[in-house]
Amino acid sequence: MLRELYDKTGDWLRGTGPEADIVISTRIRLARNLANFPFLSRANTEQKREIERLIREKIKHAKDTKDLHYIRLSDISTVDRLFLMERRLISREHAGGDGERGVAFGRSETVSVMVNEEDHLRIQVIRSGFELRDAWKIIDEIDNILERELKYAFSPAFGYLTACPTNVGTGMRASVMVHLPALGLTHHIEKVFNAVGKLGLIVRGLYGEGTQVLGDLYQISNQFTLGKSETEIIEIMESVVPRITSYERMAREVLISENREQLEDRVWRSYGMLKEARVLSSEEAMHLLSQVRLGVTVGLIKDVTAETLNALFILTLPAHLQKLEGKELEATQRNVLRASFVRRRLGNTN
Amino acid sequence: MKCESCNKRHATVHLTEISGNEKREQHLCDECAHNLNNQLIKMPSPTDILANLINQVAPEIGEMSKTACPACGMSYLEFRSSGRLGCPMDYTAFKKGIVPLLEKMHGASEHIGKVPSRAGKELVVKNEVLQLRKELDKAVEKEDYEKAAKIRDRIFELSGSDDVKGTLRQDG
Repeated sequence: MLRELYDKTGDWLRGTGPEADIVISTRIRLARNLANFPFLSRANTEQKREIERLIREKIKHAKDTKDLHYIRLSDISTVDRLFLMERRLISREHAGGDGERGVAFGRSETVSVMVNEEDHLRIQVIRSGFELRDAWKIIDEIDNILERELKYAFSPAFGYLTACPTNVGTGMRASVMVHLPALGLTHHIEKVFNAVGKLGLIVRGLYGEGTQVLGDLYQISNQFTLGKSETEIIEIMESVVPRITSYERMAREVLISENREQLEDRVWRSYGMLKEARVLSSEEAMHLLSQVRLGVTVGLIKDVTAETLNALFILTLPAHLQKLEGKELEATQRNVLRASFVRRRLGNTN
Repeated sequence: MKCESCNKRHATVHLTEISGNEKREQHLCDECAHNLNNQLIKMPSPTDILANLINQVAPEIGEMSKTACPACGMSYLEFRSSGRLGCPMDYTAFKKGIVPLLEKMHGASEHIGKVPSRAGKELVVKNEVLQLRKELDKAVEKEDYEKAAKIRDRIFELSGSDDVKGTLRQDG
């Protein structure tokens, strides 16, 4: 199953859906725990095994999840776990964790269910573009179906009980991955973050908490999970995110109308580097891809699609390159492979 | 040498105190030295000082510091230092400390939103009505009476009472 994933990408990278020029994807995750077990930090090996087995069996039988592919993370290599993380099918913590744990995901990579992450169950749905309602509809249904099979830890006062009190209540984290190169170039990004913080949302790097911001990609998500219903959380995001995207669009227009030559030079130079470079680090690739993506979305570059670029953001990550090549590679070897992979994808046969 | 304090027993403890450039020596018997030590012991220990400080900064920790969850055995202090709870029961066991914490974290301490259907139909309905009432307020605020009427009908349907209906008629 993993092999099938190496050379393709998930549906959420299609570059389709509302606001897809800026909002790459929408993700919702729900944190759930079983009522009759301790949380994982206090569960012993035997209990972890029991929780994993119980949830795995239910996933394999429940109507909406039985077609998902289940992988026990202890059965696969470190590179494969990193691969699943780069793919956003599992979290960084889940990739690096220990003990009995697993993940179930579908062929389109829209749905994934992590077992024994920080909570017993982390259900996630990712959609291309700005599709919160759609993502909620899917995840709500999966949650309902699993809930019939599993006894969730729930209290009328505090809602769904989670290992960390920052997730208690709805257990829901809704987030959008946005590409904001123009706000970065015009030095307005800090303003956005300050404003967003005041509205109860937080900004993070590509792979969640504490991760580096690369390629002008940011994740904006709700900070509070208690005291607001799922619908209210979605409504807040729906009122804030379009303001950020229109701010980014405004910055793009300003760049075009006032600094056209500089912008053109920047995006075409980046495109040239991607098409001709022989050595590319992951950071450099992300940076150049971001510039070219900006060029494509403002209509300066027409011979490559945003979808191709979206895919390259993921396919050029370290674990992806190693799986593509079928062996473990040093960083210097990866940089050579990355450059040749990008050249080929951008139609340069030299 | 006789003890400098009682001048009776033999001095077995020899203390040297240096303050500035002055050196002061004391020769005491066991008993007198012990009494001196007791005075030293009466000084608050670092733990006491810390506990007092915690009581000033976060009173709930002081009060909760002796609490542990009967189900998983986790103590409240363990939770505060790791930030992770031990089991679902902790929310009940540590309620007193957790409520203010949740207030700080989320600006709220009560769940509104989805309820698992096995938690009981009554609770599901109660939560839905709670949500609908909020939506109703919003719709009225926006003067979207068509939407408000629909929400009102749904609340009416769920709660089986017509008090909401009456209120809205007056408003509209």
